[in-house]
Amino acid sequence: MRKGRLLIAVLLCAGLVISPSVWAASDVINIGFPIPLTGDNPDVGASSKNAAEMYLKKFPTVDVGGKTYKLNFIYEDNEFKAESAVKALTKLITEEEVLAIIGPQASAQAVPAGEIANNNATPMISPWSTNPNTTLNRPYVFRGCFLDPFQGPVAANFVTEELGAKKAAVLYDIASDYPKGLAEFFKQAFEKIHGPGSVVAFESFTTGDKDFSAQMANIVASGADVLFTPQYYSEVPLIVRAAKENGFTKPIMGSDSWGSGDLMGLCGDDCKGFYFSTHYAAAGAKGATKEFIDEYTAAYGKTPDDVAALTWDSLGIMIQAIQNTGGLSGNIKADRTKVKDALAAIKDYPGITGKMTFTPEGDPIKCAVVVKINEEGKFAFHESVCP
Amino acid sequence: MSGTDHATIANFFRRLLGGVPLLGWLLGFLAAVLIEQAVGTPLAQILSLPKMPVLFGILTISKVIAAVINAVFKDAAFDPAILVHVPAALAYLALVYLAPIAAVARISARASNRAATAMGRWNLLVPAAVHLGLMYAALHTWAGMSDYRLITLKITLIAVLLTLSLNIINGYMGEFSCSHPGFMAVGAYMSSLFTVGLFVDDKVLGKALVVFSLDFLNFPLALIFGGLCASVAALLVAIPSFKTRGDYLAIISLAFLFIIKSLFENLQGLGGSRGIAGQPDWAALPVIFAVVGLGIWSINNFVTSTYGKALNAVRDDELAAEAMTVNTRQAKMTAFLVGAFWAGVAGGLLAHVLRYINPAMFGIQKLAEVLAMVYFGGLNSVYGSIVGAVSIGLLGEALRPLEILKWIIIPLLLILVMIYRPTGLVAFRDFDLREAMGPKTEPGQRK
Repeated sequence: MRKGRLLIAVLLCAGLVISPSVWAASDVINIGFPIPLTGDNPDVGASSKNAAEMYLKKFPTVDVGGKTYKLNFIYEDNEFKAESAVKALTKLITEEEVLAIIGPQASAQAVPAGEIANNNATPMISPWSTNPNTTLNRPYVFRGCFLDPFQGPVAANFVTEELGAKKAAVLYDIASDYPKGLAEFFKQAFEKIHGPGSVVAFESFTTGDKDFSAQMANIVASGADVLFTPQYYSEVPLIVRAAKENGFTKPIMGSDSWGSGDLMGLCGDDCKGFYFSTHYAAAGAKGATKEFIDEYTAAYGKTPDDVAALTWDSLGIMIQAIQNTGGLSGNIKADRTKVKDALAAIKDYPGITGKMTFTPEGDPIKCAVVVKINEEGKFAFHESVCP
Repeated sequence: MSGTDHATIANFFRRLLGGVPLLGWLLGFLAAVLIEQAVGTPLAQILSLPKMPVLFGILTISKVIAAVINAVFKDAAFDPAILVHVPAALAYLALVYLAPIAAVARISARASNRAATAMGRWNLLVPAAVHLGLMYAALHTWAGMSDYRLITLKITLIAVLLTLSLNIINGYMGEFSCSHPGFMAVGAYMSSLFTVGLFVDDKVLGKALVVFSLDFLNFPLALIFGGLCASVAALLVAIPSFKTRGDYLAIISLAFLFIIKSLFENLQGLGGSRGIAGQPDWAALPVIFAVVGLGIWSINNFVTSTYGKALNAVRDDELAAEAMTVNTRQAKMTAFLVGAFWAGVAGGLLAHVLRYINPAMFGIQKLAEVLAMVYFGGLNSVYGSIVGAVSIGLLGEALRPLEILKWIIIPLLLILVMIYRPTGLVAFRDFDLREAMGPKTEPGQRK
């Protein structure tokens, strides 16, 4: 019996000795990253994590209202699944008690996750999600990229003015949220300029298809001046090759999804000379953008894709908002709301993907860039289009 | 430790706790969660844990393992102080859960046995209501301590229902059907169509058609509607199953899954690949608990009835069953319709928990998940489905910090189970409600 009491006393003392280190944690700002580290799209998670790690190395602390806080990033795997994203987000908010959240990246996870963030009054920026539902009626949820209703017209105007296209063809994946939305916005914008019926071929396929010859035959037969295909980097090489094989010699235009991953490694010479609209151009970049690209390339041995760049900017604007609060109270709930208000108030944040200001809906107003894949296989700046 | 020591320890525990009925265990669990609610946070602080362990301490331990692995293989910074979390989490588990559960179960054993005997004389509904009430009270308190627990519990309960409904076809009828996520998708979409279309203003589905203040009372209707639609869709698989078996049925059902998925991807009226968002927040824990409880009860009744026995006969030998006057077509048809109905209901619940659905959620990944739960837990067994869904669900959650290693550990476990227990952990066990809730005699003591 006495032994038992002694043991409890020792345990209590040990607890008291160790626990101050736990209580001292109030000098830390926790930021959560619910990103797909495993699952169907681990590249996206890896890019986000790389950008965040680089940020942490560069700025390990942040000064808020005269007090220095240590930054602590918590990465939570969302497995590229909606259920997991919801669980991961709840865990970050209630268990890890993060001040703010960067992620999830894809809309399929960001839409349900945004609901959780908004219900728990925690500021969240999804760097990459383009689904309007992500931020719709959710004051606590923001996004880091421009929306498809803006990118579609950018592409339509570009092919009209720069490439002199009068008839356009579109090839897109009907089963995937992002390409389908963008294909429709492009069609709308192009037909507004050239009249109904000017999109002469509107061909679709399903995720995972490898053979595009049937669609290409239709596109070639339609006599289109340009092909718009808002597909992911892994599908673009197949589409471009199918176009060549079927005798389509006109220019091909893409969207920001071309810029992620290893497009040139997969595509080789076939993609040279084509254009796509995106968030930033790696080749010929200047200032902070160039600095970011150089540092990222040095650290990870590859050019940062748009996910990395957008994560970097979303993180930057979030930290800026935390600083703009002018001081944290230590009450996490009150602080989260303060950060949200500061985030909504930021004007012209100088990000590496352009200046950012949020609309009341939480979507940024920022410029798009059209890049040309040059003869060296680099993504070179061609022109900038602002809303 | 020698073998005899093991035997003595096992015997000791058997003697100590063998005579405890379900009622006693539930009381113990309730006591444990009440203790956690009262002293969990201060106790965690004393044990130098950063927070109250959320999933029985397993999550805390796997976080430490992940930190060690990152430090060894990726040269990440490592704070040796977190190693203390492992014994601390185990101590927490023992102090808050194991000890109180065992103590309360043991102390109340005599009383709860008497109570169980007394209740056994009444209609089955009485003990069922008492047990379910206790269970709900315990789960409600447990989940009330953290939103993360709540969402994990909700999704796990839905997984139980889904697993059980697949077990009807893959376990009791012995066919390998791959169409279950498809049934779930139909249920999820149709119940969302019902609730979002009728009661919510939505961009895709238009303005709310009905406005009245008690519209959440229609949630059961929405679930039933979703389930019935899933049943109708199941006819597409059930009818070919009359003539095909084995691999061929697996291929047909897989084709069905793809058809359903592309159907919803191409139906622009239902949001296409963007899916439907903004389902009303009606799937609270009591609702899910009640629906899943009802599902388990009715599926258990179904599989223990003559219909269920007919399914077993079809599984063991279809020709012999036919010769013994089993209407094999009817048996297959009912199995598919009942299984699909509850899968549809599970889909409807999931849609209203996540409040967002898109077709990509109901793909091959979901199929692999639910098949793993069925085969891990055990074929032809209600217990097995509960064990499979809960263990895979909780394990998946608790091992999340390990990232990619999680996808090595869980499949490895599955392989081990398949080697040592080829039909799953708790296969071919009947779930007799009266026996489960009845009194347990202490070993060495006669009834």
